[in-house]
Amino acid sequence: MIVAERKPFEEIKAMIEGCKKVLIVGCGECVSVCMAGGEKEVQILASQLRLAFEEEGKKLEAGETTLERQCDKEYLEEIKDKVDDYDAVISMACGAGVQFLAEMYDSKPVYPALNTQFIGVAEREGEWSERCRACSDCVLAETGGICPVAICPKGLLNGPCGGTNDGKCELSKEKDCAWTLIYNRLDKLGKLDNIRKIFPAKKYSVQTTPGRRIHEAFKEKE
Amino acid sequence: MEGECHFLEGNKRAKMWVDYTKGLLEESGIAPDRLKMFNLSSSMAPKFKEVVEEMVEVAKKLGPTKIEKKAA
Ligand code: SF4
Ligand code: SF4
Repeated sequence: MIVAERKPFEEIKAMIEGCKKVLIVGCGECVSVCMAGGEKEVQILASQLRLAFEEEGKKLEAGETTLERQCDKEYLEEIKDKVDDYDAVISMACGAGVQFLAEMYDSKPVYPALNTQFIGVAEREGEWSERCRACSDCVLAETGGICPVAICPKGLLNGPCGGTNDGKCELSKEKDCAWTLIYNRLDKLGKLDNIRKIFPAKKYSVQTTPGRRIHEAFKEKE
Repeated sequence: MEGECHFLEGNKRAKMWVDYTKGLLEESGIAPDRLKMFNLSSSMAPKFKEVVEEMVEVAKKLGPTKIEKKAA
């Protein structure tokens, strides 16, 4: 999933300076699961903003709604009758959702309430870790299912570097060395020979910016 | 008492969320002391009275917030 965290309250509050009515829009997918931008977080942010405005002797009407997703137009359309009633929209989706919402309602200021961080997994309740950098050329088949691009801070394809130390990374004793993890996993899988393979330079050309994908079935045939 | 909740870890989790909520209040300009969690069982009436009195004192000391009272 995409992992995000909420921006500092003061930063969000400053974005809507001068607004009297804002619509806060949550997203029901990844950011709900990582407790950053789902229905509950929409309620919390709306309440906090109302309280903070009232404490300053101002009035804020904060509308609340949470869509199934913000990265699909059909769901974004659900708020089309509401948006006009507000001075601005605060999106609690990942950066992609915020942009899609801003594109659909391009005459309305749309502000992000989250900082989008990474593609990751839930380690335990309330803790997530990064697992993939979306490099468009996955090497997990060779590395025992552990990503050196995301987990090694240097993104080394032919690790470990000289700094690996008792299974920890030279950049931080808190971090496991990705290549020690890979070595141990390959050992467990009986595929230790993989560690001798030299990866050629990574194909950064496939990592086009901005990325775009059309499903085979949807490609126009000549 | 802490850790001895009928719902197992329930009151430890509640404590975590109460601490978090105090932070949310502070960000919103509301004194976090207005919220405090106490662990009590249903048979601790005198302690309950003490706790209520403590919170009444806190509220009196802090005075009213600027938040408008909504008619119920
Ligand atoms: S190699 Fe790593 S960053 Fe690239 S697609 Fe696979 S998991 Fe993602
Ligand atoms: S110690 Fe391991 S994880 Fe850290 S930079 Fe070197 S190879 Fe990568």
